[in-house]
Amino acid sequence: MRLLRSILASAWMGWQREMNWTNPVLSLFVKTVAPTAAVLSAAAVYWFGSSFAGLFTPERLAYIVVGASMYSQVAAYAYVPTSAIAEGKWSNLYPQVYITPTSSIPYLAGRCIASFADSVPVIVISLTVSYYVSFALFGAPPSITLSIESVLMIGGALVLSVPAAVALGYVLGSYSVFVSRFEWALPSYVSGLLMIFSEALFPATILPYPFSLIPEIIPFTYLMRASRAALIYNSWSLYLNSMEYLALGGIAFLLGGLIVFRSAENSARSKGFIDKKVM
Amino acid sequence: MYSRAWVRVRSTYGEPVWVAVNLAVPLLSSLAMALLYRSTGLSRFTGFAILGGVMLAFWGNVLWSMASQFNWDKEVGIFEIYLISPAPISAILVGMSLGGILATVPSAALVTLIGWRFFSLSVNPSWVAVFLTFILTLASLYAMGMLLSSLYLVYGREAESLNNAIGDPINLLSGLYFPSIGTGSPFPFAVQIIASLIPLTIGMDALRKSVFYGGDVEAVWLDLLILAVMAGVLLFLGDRAMKALEERGRREGTLVVRLR
Repeated sequence: MRLLRSILASAWMGWQREMNWTNPVLSLFVKTVAPTAAVLSAAAVYWFGSSFAGLFTPERLAYIVVGASMYSQVAAYAYVPTSAIAEGKWSNLYPQVYITPTSSIPYLAGRCIASFADSVPVIVISLTVSYYVSFALFGAPPSITLSIESVLMIGGALVLSVPAAVALGYVLGSYSVFVSRFEWALPSYVSGLLMIFSEALFPATILPYPFSLIPEIIPFTYLMRASRAALIYNSWSLYLNSMEYLALGGIAFLLGGLIVFRSAENSARSKGFIDKKVM
Repeated sequence: MYSRAWVRVRSTYGEPVWVAVNLAVPLLSSLAMALLYRSTGLSRFTGFAILGGVMLAFWGNVLWSMASQFNWDKEVGIFEIYLISPAPISAILVGMSLGGILATVPSAALVTLIGWRFFSLSVNPSWVAVFLTFILTLASLYAMGMLLSSLYLVYGREAESLNNAIGDPINLLSGLYFPSIGTGSPFPFAVQIIASLIPLTIGMDALRKSVFYGGDVEAVWLDLLILAVMAGVLLFLGDRAMKALEERGRREGTLVVRLR
């Protein structure tokens, strides 16, 4: 019970940090503008390239719009530990978290859940806006089927991606505990690499071998596949298959992340890294 | 001017890890876009994506190390030192720009090299036009950074969120990875006019012409003229805005307030 209370309190704090720096509507607008523009950039690149090659299809446009929209959530997770730990060390908040009896494990889990909660409306808005703007700009709507069933399927995929998100939080948190400079470096690389290796914009087969194998072991790839199965292909078998891998991969990553973070935190405590401020 | 430029250059070249840190976003974004071009079946446009990555390195520097710099300087107490020093603030901003350009060159060069290595780019450059376009694009882009820097002076912690919000829309409108004005643009004419007010849009258009299509100075003279005018106007506006906001900040006592 105490663990759950700690997680909820951290999630509330994360929500306050991300969304309450101004009024919620403006905050949501500011958070949505960038991902929507990024989705449209990717869609425009596809439209420009495929139009010249005479290979434009609304299905492929939908593939990119759905993947790029979901990627905004994956990228948001990569920055949670930096804001929770590195920034927390600078503002003296994190040292107060780690001296509490429940340690910082529920704190990071709560911050990841807050990131999940504030990026879900961002995905919905950016997907909707990108759909209509793509239709207006490229003259063909992305072939996305929206129904109660597909919305529930997407919701299920997003919820099932939370363990993988928390695992990413723990792994990157292990880095944030130790750094006192360049705290943005690793999350920037991780979010950029996930853009390439999670099938956000193109299928893994485009990558040269053996890089094409990497997406198969990343749980977020299965979030992309499940989302496309729900919104584009309307295929339960593809969806369930991806959900299976998303769940199993997420749990495996979560266990690994917990071990890494626990040992990093213990080591950082004993060496005094936690009190070292980010400058 | 020299002192501020030197600090920026020394901090990058004295700590090469900075190059790796600054490389992440432009390199991985341009690789992703280049692979997206390849997946559409048209590999010859991968060069557009790599060129976009090169210019993203500079645009990122303008956004994060020019526009919001004075905010961070306020937070850590450096800005008040600028104010009491006899150096004019605009000279500090110009020094910051020159230092920023020199500090970003390694990241931009690495994006070019890695892109070249992985995608065997096919280019047909007209070097004089490329050089003039590049210099004028940077001049107008950093002049825009100076204007933004003065405007950001009135913001508190909103500055970071504002930076996050405007980065991608400007990448989209300026056609960092695809033509956003003229032939091949997906945008309607009215949006193209708005996009043309951003120096990066004109710069990217002229760079694509001179790097990939062998466009000489004659082919891009109008772009060069617009970029030169933009640089002058933005520099003037930046200087005036900085003076006005500095004056207002002095009167209201908000210039040296630490945010945390």
